[in-house]
Amino acid sequence: MARYGMALDYKNCINCKACEVACKEENGILMGADKHRIWVGVKEIKGEYPLLDIVSSSFEPSQCQHCDSAPCQEVCPTNATYYDDNGVVRVDPDKCILCSYCMNACPYDARYVDDRTMTVDKCNFCSDTRLARGETTTACQATCPTKVRTFGDLDDPESEISVLLRTREHFSLKSHLGTKPKLFYLT
Amino acid sequence: MAEAVKKQGIKEFITSIPYNKIGLKDLVSFEKTPRNIIIAIITFAFLVSFAVGVTLYLMHGHHAYNVTREHPWGLLIAVYIFFVVSSTGLCIVGSLGDVFGFKEYEMISKRAIFGSIVTIMAGFAVIAFEIGHPVTMLIYNVLTPGFTSAIWWMGTLYGLYLTFMIIEFVFLLKHDMRMARIFGLTGLLVGLAAHSNLGGVFGFLNARTISNGVFYPTYFILTAFITGIFIAFIMMGIRYRLSFPENAKRMLTNLAKIQGLLIAILIFFVTWKMLTDIYGGMPNRSEVALHILGSWTFWAEVVLAMVIPLLIILKSKGSAVLAMFWASLGGMVGVFFMRYNLVHDTQLKPLQMMKVREYQLAPEWVHYFPSAAEIMISLGGLGLCILLYYVGTKLFNLDEEAH
Repeated sequence: MARYGMALDYKNCINCKACEVACKEENGILMGADKHRIWVGVKEIKGEYPLLDIVSSSFEPSQCQHCDSAPCQEVCPTNATYYDDNGVVRVDPDKCILCSYCMNACPYDARYVDDRTMTVDKCNFCSDTRLARGETTTACQATCPTKVRTFGDLDDPESEISVLLRTREHFSLKSHLGTKPKLFYLT
Repeated sequence: MAEAVKKQGIKEFITSIPYNKIGLKDLVSFEKTPRNIIIAIITFAFLVSFAVGVTLYLMHGHHAYNVTREHPWGLLIAVYIFFVVSSTGLCIVGSLGDVFGFKEYEMISKRAIFGSIVTIMAGFAVIAFEIGHPVTMLIYNVLTPGFTSAIWWMGTLYGLYLTFMIIEFVFLLKHDMRMARIFGLTGLLVGLAAHSNLGGVFGFLNARTISNGVFYPTYFILTAFITGIFIAFIMMGIRYRLSFPENAKRMLTNLAKIQGLLIAILIFFVTWKMLTDIYGGMPNRSEVALHILGSWTFWAEVVLAMVIPLLIILKSKGSAVLAMFWASLGGMVGVFFMRYNLVHDTQLKPLQMMKVREYQLAPEWVHYFPSAAEIMISLGGLGLCILLYYVGTKLFNLDEEAH
C-alpha cells in the first residue's frame, strides 16, 4: 500500500484555476461552488497605489492536507472520517451525520457540506475516480500547466515526490498544531 | 432496582408509580389570572413557532439556517448547550437533598430532578433538528463508535444520564429513597462526565486557540451549578407564587449563598481566561479575546448572569429571595448569552485567511446572525420545556412528601 502525499511548487502557480475545474470535472463537484475540494488562495499585494509591491502577490493552492494525525478524524463521532489503506483521509457519506464537528476541527477549512448528499465532503486525492481506476495521478496535478503539483507515494524513496522532498526545502501549513500534513509547500 | 423489580414484577412496578389521572380538560383548567393567561399564550406561541421552524427545516434542510462553512455551528447548538447545562445544573441541585442527604434541600429534589428530565428532553428536541442525519447517528453511534470524539462521549453519556434521571425520578415518586440515592448518584456522575465532555467538544479544538484547553470542561460544571440554582429560584418562585413559606425561604437563602460563592469563582475564572487570552498577544487568540470584549453579548452575559445576582446576594447576604427570583430570570437570559457567546466566539476567526476570488476582500471576522427558522425552533424548545414542566406539575406530586 502507498502513503500518498502531494508537493506543491506553489511559487509556480499562476492562479489559472484549471486545477479547480479539473477537480470538478473528474469528481463531479458542484459547478459554481466556491472552495469545494480545492481552491487557490490569493495573497493581497502589499502597499498603496502607485507604490505597490508586485512581488508580494502570490498564490497558495490549498485543499485537505491529508494529515497523518487528522483532527477531523479524531473528532468524528461515527468514524465516518477514516484513513484508507493509502493513508488518504476519506469520508464515508453513509456514516456522516452532519454534526459539523469536523468542519470546526479542521485547521485548514478544508471541509464543506455537499448540498446533494447533505454530508461533509473534502478532497480525497481522486480516490473514488482516478486512483480507483488504477491511475496514480490526481486531476489537479495532471491538468496544471506550470506543474505546481507533484502527487506520489511518500513511502517509495524513488518516487518523484520523495526525490523532490529530499532535494528541495519545504514547509507544511500550521505544522505547529502537530497535525502532520501530507501536503508539502516547496520553497 | 433488580431487587425491587423482582419483588414486585415489572408490570406491577410500573403500574404502581404514583401519578394523577388527568385529561386534556385538567390541563386547560388553570386559574385564569392575567399572569397565567399570558404565560399560556406565550407557551402556545412558542410551540407554534416550533412547528413552523421545524416545517421550514424539513422543507429546506440546513439552508433554512444561517450556518455556513465558516460558521457551521449556530444558535441551535447554543440552545442545546443551554438546555443540557440547565439539566445538569438541576441534577446537581436535586442531588443536594436526595443523594448527599442535606435535609433542607429535599423539598426541591423531586422538582429539580423532574426539571432536569424536562430540560434535557427539550435539548434533544432542538438538537434533533440541527444534526443533519439523526437516525444515522443513532445507528452508527452504536455500530462504529468514534471513541476519540468528545461528541460521541457527550451524546452517549447524556443518553445514559437521561435514563438514570428517569429511574431516579420514579423511585422518588415511589418514595424509595435508598434506590433514588443509588440512581441519583450514578446519574449525577454520568451527567457530570457528559457535561465536561460537552466542554471537551470545544476544549479539544486545537484549531481554535480561543477554546482549546482545559478551561471549558471545568467551566461547564461550574456554570451548570450556577444555572441550576437560577432555575431552582424560578421553579420555587412559580410554585409558591412569590410568597415563599419559611422553609422555602431558608433553603433559597442558603442556595443564594452558595450561588454567591459560585458566581465569585466564575468571575475569577472569566477574568483570568480573558487576561491569559490577551496577554502576550498570541496570534488568533488575543485578537479574538479583544473582539469578544467589544461585543455587547459578552457584557449582557457578565451583567445579567454575574454582576446583578452577585450584587443582590452580597447586599442582602442571600436573604432577598424575591429579588433573587427576578435576578434569576435575568440570570437565565445571561446564561443564554453565555452559551451563544461560547459557540459564536469559538468560530469568530476564519481558519483560511486568504481570498479565493478576485474583487473579494480577504476574510476578516466571521459574521453570524440566526435565521428565523433557528430562532423559531429555539423558542419552541423553551415552549416545550414549559409545557412538559406544566404537565409534570399536574401529573405528579413534585413537592416533598412527609417521611
